[in-house]
Amino acid sequence: MMTYIVFILSVIFVVSFVGFSSKPSPIYGGLVLIVSGGVGCGIIMSFGGSFLGLMVFLIYLGGMLVVFGYTTAMATEQYPEVWVSNTTVMGVFLLGLLMEVMLVLYVLKSEEVGVVFKFSGVGDWAIYDTGDSGVFSEEIMGVAALYSYGAWVVIVTGWSLLVGVLVILEVTRGD
Amino acid sequence: MNPLIFTTILMTVLLGTMIVMMSSHWLMIWIGFEMNLLAIIPILMKKYNPRTMEASTKYFLTQATASMLLMMAIIINLMHSGQWTITKVFNPTASIIMTSALAMKLGLTPFHFWVPEVTQGISLTSGLILLTWQKLAPMSILYQISPSINLNILLTMAVLSILVGGWGGLNQTQLRKIMAYSSIAHMGWMTAVLVYNPTLTMLNMLIYIMMTLTMFMLFIHSSSTTTLSLSHTWNKTPLTTTLILITLLSMGGLPPLSGFMPKWMIIQELTKNSSIILPTLMAIMALLNLYFYMRLTYSTSLTMFPSTNNMKMKWQFETKRITLLPPLIVMSSLLLPLTPMLSILD
Repeated sequence: MMTYIVFILSVIFVVSFVGFSSKPSPIYGGLVLIVSGGVGCGIIMSFGGSFLGLMVFLIYLGGMLVVFGYTTAMATEQYPEVWVSNTTVMGVFLLGLLMEVMLVLYVLKSEEVGVVFKFSGVGDWAIYDTGDSGVFSEEIMGVAALYSYGAWVVIVTGWSLLVGVLVILEVTRGD
Repeated sequence: MNPLIFTTILMTVLLGTMIVMMSSHWLMIWIGFEMNLLAIIPILMKKYNPRTMEASTKYFLTQATASMLLMMAIIINLMHSGQWTITKVFNPTASIIMTSALAMKLGLTPFHFWVPEVTQGISLTSGLILLTWQKLAPMSILYQISPSINLNILLTMAVLSILVGGWGGLNQTQLRKIMAYSSIAHMGWMTAVLVYNPTLTMLNMLIYIMMTLTMFMLFIHSSSTTTLSLSHTWNKTPLTTTLILITLLSMGGLPPLSGFMPKWMIIQELTKNSSIILPTLMAIMALLNLYFYMRLTYSTSLTMFPSTNNMKMKWQFETKRITLLPPLIVMSSLLLPLTPMLSILD
C-alpha cells in the first residue's frame, strides 16, 4: 500500500478540489480546503519533504485559512449552501467525481492507455527512492537553494504579494 | 486613485511584461503573466461604474484561463523534456495548448470575443494600454517558441482573425470597438508570418503599436469615443482632422505611408515560401479593415459633417496637453522609405 500512497492521496486531493470547485458556500469550501491542504501535506511528506508539509499546515491552514474562515464567518448568510442543497452544485460535484473515477480506472486498469498522455499503469505515481545527496535531505537543500540561487524568485513573489494587496485594496475601495 | 499606488501598480504592469520577456524559466514567465494581469485590473477599473467592472471581470476571466492553459502546457513540456528552460516546446500537444493559450491572451480568433467588449467598457487611456502594451508579452513568448508551433493551427487562427477583425468592425460606430477589431486583424497579420520570419512579426508589432498609440492619442485629445463626436473635430481642432486621415490610412495599409511596410514585407515573405492563395486572401480581407477606416475619415476629415447649429460655435477651452503626438504621427506615416534598413533587424 505504501507504494500507492501518493496515488491514493492525490485522488483524495483531486476529490476535495472538486468539492470546493463546485462552489458550495465559502464555509464548506474552507472545510474541504482544510482536507485538501492536509492531504497535500501528506503527499509532500511522502516524498521526504517534512519541512514543506509543516509549512503547509502552519502557514496555509493555520494562518491564511483561519483568517479566511473568520472573514467568511462575518459575511455568511443564514442558510449556507451545501453540496446537496442546490442542483447545480450537486451536479458539478458529481460530474467532477465521475471524471476522477474514470481517470483512476484508466490509470489502474489499462496497461498502456494512450489518450493524450501515456499513463503506463501506476508507474509515475509510485514513490521510489529519489536522488540521494548524502547527508542532507533534498527538500532542505531546495529551501536553501530558494534563498540563495533563487533570490530573484523570492523578490518577484514578494513583490507580487505586495502588489496583490495593493490591487485588492484598490479594487474594493469603490469611489 | 492615490498617485503613489497608481505609480506602483503601473510599474508592476511594466515589471510583469519585463519578467515575461527576459526570463528563461517557464515558471518565471507564468509568474510574469500573472503579475501583469493582477496589476492591470485596477488600471482597467479606474472609474468605478458597472461597465468598467464588467469589462475588468471579463478580461480577468479570459486571461486567467489562458494562464491556466499556459501552465498546463508548461507542465506537459516538463513531463516530456524534463527541463524548464524556454527553448522550443518538445511535445506537439504542449505546443498546441501553448499556442491556444497565447492566442487567448492576444485576442486571436476563435478567442477574440473579449477584445471589443473589454475595450469598450474601459476608458480611452486604459484601452490604449490594453491594446498596445499587453500584446508585447504574449508575442514575445510566441516569438521564442516559433520553431515548434503547429503551422496549421496558427495560420488558421491568423486568417480567421484577419477575417473577423475586418468583418466585425464593419458595423461599429464606437471608436474603441473599432480599435479593438483593428487590433484583432493586426494580430492576425502578425501571427501569420510568425513561423516564416519572426522578425517581420516584431516589425509589424512595432509599427502597429506606433499607429495605435497615435490613434488613441488623437481620440484622447478630442475626448471622442464615438464616430459622431469624432466628426466634430473640424470645428474643434481642424489640424487633427488631417492627422486622423493620415494615421487611419496608414493603419489601413496604403502605400506611401508606413502602415504599408509590414503588409508588404509579410506578403513578400509568404510568397517566398510558395504560398500564393494565402497572402492574396489576407490582402483582400484587409480591404474590409480599410473600408471602416475610410468611413471614419469620410465623416471626420473629408467632409464637414452636418451637426446642429450650436455645435458649430464651440467654446474654446484650454488645449489639452498632447503627449508625444507629433513624433508619433511622423513615425506612423512616413517610415516607408526606411524599409531597406530592415536588414539591421536580423
